Amino acid sequence: MGERVYGFNGVSPSAGKPGRKRFAMVIDLRRCTGCNACTASCKTAYDVPLGASRIWLMEAETGEFPNTKRNVLPRLCNQCDHPTCVRNCPTKATFKHPDGYVLQRYNRCIGCRTCMVACPYNARHFLPEYRRDARNPRNVADKCDFCIVRVTRGLAPICVTSCTGGAIIFGDMNDPESEVSRTFLDNKTFTLRPEMGNAPQVFYIGLNEKIADPEFAFHHRSKQLHRRYNTFKRNSEVGGEMAGNIIDTDMGLVGLIRQGLNNFRTFFKDAPHKIFRGLF
Amino acid sequence: MEGQIIANAFHHAYWGFPIATYFWLVGASAGSFVISTLGWVFGIKKYKSTAFFASNMAIALLLIVPIILIIDLGKPFRFFHLLMLPSFSHWSAPMMWGSLFILSYPIGMMFYSYFVYKKNEKWARILGILAVVLALCTHWYTGVVIQLNPSRIPNHASVAPILFLTGAYVSGIGLLNICLWIRNYFVGPDSQVSTGLIADMARLMLYGIVFDLFLLWNEFLQMTYGFGEEYTMLYDVLLGVFRWPYFYLEIVWGLLFPLIILVIPKINRQLPWLLLASFMCATGVYGMRIWWVMANFYYQGHY
Repeated sequence: MGERVYGFNGVSPSAGKPGRKRFAMVIDLRRCTGCNACTASCKTAYDVPLGASRIWLMEAETGEFPNTKRNVLPRLCNQCDHPTCVRNCPTKATFKHPDGYVLQRYNRCIGCRTCMVACPYNARHFLPEYRRDARNPRNVADKCDFCIVRVTRGLAPICVTSCTGGAIIFGDMNDPESEVSRTFLDNKTFTLRPEMGNAPQVFYIGLNEKIADPEFAFHHRSKQLHRRYNTFKRNSEVGGEMAGNIIDTDMGLVGLIRQGLNNFRTFFKDAPHKIFRGLF
Repeated sequence: MEGQIIANAFHHAYWGFPIATYFWLVGASAGSFVISTLGWVFGIKKYKSTAFFASNMAIALLLIVPIILIIDLGKPFRFFHLLMLPSFSHWSAPMMWGSLFILSYPIGMMFYSYFVYKKNEKWARILGILAVVLALCTHWYTGVVIQLNPSRIPNHASVAPILFLTGAYVSGIGLLNICLWIRNYFVGPDSQVSTGLIADMARLMLYGIVFDLFLLWNEFLQMTYGFGEEYTMLYDVLLGVFRWPYFYLEIVWGLLFPLIILVIPKINRQLPWLLLASFMCATGVYGMRIWWVMANFYYQGHY
């Protein structure tokens, strides 16, 4: 295997365990059209509840008319080499698979949400009490698992399969002949938030530095979108407060008190459901 | 627009007010227990009369804690996973350490209370040392749980646990002062706590307030000279959206006003002012717990 070209941010793909596969992903943003096919197919395949996603798109418009550009950034779990979520999970419910996946064991998870706090990429979400299919796990953390159930059967992850522009490339980095390896070697790649020290294994080609910046994302979201989102959260019973609720944008004193009261109201409202219905 | 909402353009605040309340309760418990040990462990005799009450108050506060924590779990009945040693326990996780501290700390306090009740100097001292270390560890770990997340900007600082402990000390004394004043209405004249003792405890609280302000000032400095995210966090979140818990409730109401009351010579030994300062401190620290838990969620929720 030839010498690897280091990414712009100095993050190299890990060699992984000897003799094992090393699954990683390269996303070519030059080919991404922002069609949301990956989001839709993933949500359908895994019954991801409303208000949460395993893969989602960040969108931002940059520049001024007439030189404007719509930037799209598909985001998913980065399957880090040094994952903080694994480090912080108190029950070993989440772990690093030798083949590169970061996986979640629903039957061990206690739903403390420490992993979500630890993740710099917001890649984890909480499964609500009410699922469309009652057999699905409830009240535990969930995340993208690189479609391990498909990959172990020789299929590509569902986002890769459904990608209309062929932007998402997935494969074994330890195989020098694989498409992902060759794409990685031939292009300058970037990772998200490399300063966090997680060694993310999702690499982007043509990443816009603005949209990859959390500070830009913070300033870019419009107040209208905030209001719409808060209204959506307040009016929908999806998951209740336990699935999380964003704090109001125009918080003020009234907003803060309302947030607190809502927190406690749903805290007590959810308690009997969790204790008597969601038992184990 | 709906597309962005459905595709999750925003993320959630994973911990809310219940967890902030838990931090406040643990802190107040640790703070009041430190006062409880001043007489029996550190040999300051005037505080001996408050030891039994303060220790029991710390136990009572800590009994609420597991209820909040366990109900806040997604799977409350799986809390025993934290105690399944060694197969389930993950020693790199601060929450694992904390679950052991939260279990052992009230037990230590109960033994300490028993020996204080029996007036057994030797064992009260030994168990007091043990329990006060556990009290500090229990609150130290709550700071560490938040601290060890590299992306949570204001929290990923080594000052976090010390800031937590100082807040605990201040709020614990404040709450204890108020509870001791209420207790005075229900006990005989011999057991009543004098205003002078409350004033002495308020003096201890004053040292905590000064140190807390010093730490906050240091953190403020670091964030103003910090990288972009820290700067944004300070000016747009803490002094913007979160100005109520951060600036008004914690700094002005919880620290500056009590500081002014407690440094004015004429009024810093008058009971109504002392109680007001104690109430301000006890409630003001709750503001710190709110922004400390939730501000980082708000900021990173946009990413």
